[in-house]
Amino acid sequence: MAKKTYDLLFKLLLIGDSGVGKTCVLFRFSDDAFNTTFISTIGIDFKIKTVELQGKKIKLQIWDTAGQERFHTITTSYYRGAMGIMLVYDITNGKSFENISKWLRNIDEHANEDVERMLLGNKCDMEEKRVVLKAKGEQIAREHGIRFFETSAKANINIEKAFLTLAEDILRKTPVKEPNSENVDISSGGGVTGWKNKCC
Amino acid sequence: MQGHQHPGEGEEKEELGPENAFEKSPFQLTAEDVYDISYVVGREILKISSEPQGEVPTRVAQLQFKIVRILEMLEALVNESNLTVEELKMERDNLKKEVEGLRKEGPPGNAEQLSLGPDKMIIDLTDPNRPRFTLQELRDVLQERNRLKAQLLITQEELQCYKSGISQREDQAGPMEKESTVCRPSGSSKSNEEKTIIKRLFSFKYGKRI
Repeated sequence: MAKKTYDLLFKLLLIGDSGVGKTCVLFRFSDDAFNTTFISTIGIDFKIKTVELQGKKIKLQIWDTAGQERFHTITTSYYRGAMGIMLVYDITNGKSFENISKWLRNIDEHANEDVERMLLGNKCDMEEKRVVLKAKGEQIAREHGIRFFETSAKANINIEKAFLTLAEDILRKTPVKEPNSENVDISSGGGVTGWKNKCC
Repeated sequence: MQGHQHPGEGEEKEELGPENAFEKSPFQLTAEDVYDISYVVGREILKISSEPQGEVPTRVAQLQFKIVRILEMLEALVNESNLTVEELKMERDNLKKEVEGLRKEGPPGNAEQLSLGPDKMIIDLTDPNRPRFTLQELRDVLQERNRLKAQLLITQEELQCYKSGISQREDQAGPMEKESTVCRPSGSSKSNEEKTIIKRLFSFKYGKRI
């Protein structure tokens, strides 16, 4: 018990077309649960999950964005503070896959240059409705030099693995120094003030 | 009458005598011509009364021709004017009907004719679900929501911290003091600002330790 809650705080962001399952992916990771009813995210939301990597407690603050175009101006203002971005598409929705290049452009425009990116092809439990081959996802990920997983929030496939891998990649780039989480300002861009670092 | 020159008084050559008014088409008559006709008729009547009786039948016959001509012209003008009045009445009625028709179709026709720009939309003010907040307002509400959510999480963590603190204390009375100080992040001045009600409650309860 004589320990702080976390050593590092990583800000992650989920983006992708509306309905691909960003919120479900996050809900599976944060609460290990799944809900079939589709409720469109209004603007932006976030969840917190603390994980342990290489002996360090890492608090993940994961921002979940609305995929709908009408929230675009609100959501893009959250790109800047993100250290890792998960770009999600739906393997049963060809359009969501075609739009990947659009989302990648958004990242180039609005996010930090050194942001860690990852591509997720979600709903991989629905094999009978698949329209995007796994090889296509792997190919586009390779072209952009980013990691790729096929996931299923419903069947709990690769969800934790994806988040932990992204966190590890960020951790690898993080300069090794005595953890001083007070430097992590999570309020930037997110408008979350008064978070600061916390007692146990 | 005074303004009229007699044919014999040396007027300009181009000007024809007052008799000429009788030769004109009634539709080209001017007020001048009517005065000329009036002059000629008056002159004839004067001659009848002043000249010897033997001349009268001839004079009357001449006057009769002139009067017949005048009546013909009057007839033509009256016919023409009646025709014009009829035409104008018809035109007026048609216009009235047209105006009424436009008034009836007016309001809906107007709304559709409202030419909207390429990026405009019409909002039905009676629709309870109509859009009515701005993006900035939504942004503010979301920031406030996320700020409160963050504070809730902090508070939950603090609560957890103090709960553990209590159980720790109950378990082992000795190292309690040490535990509770470790509980707070070392060197954090910020956390002092964040004294919640719970924290104050506990500091009251446990005195200076917290």
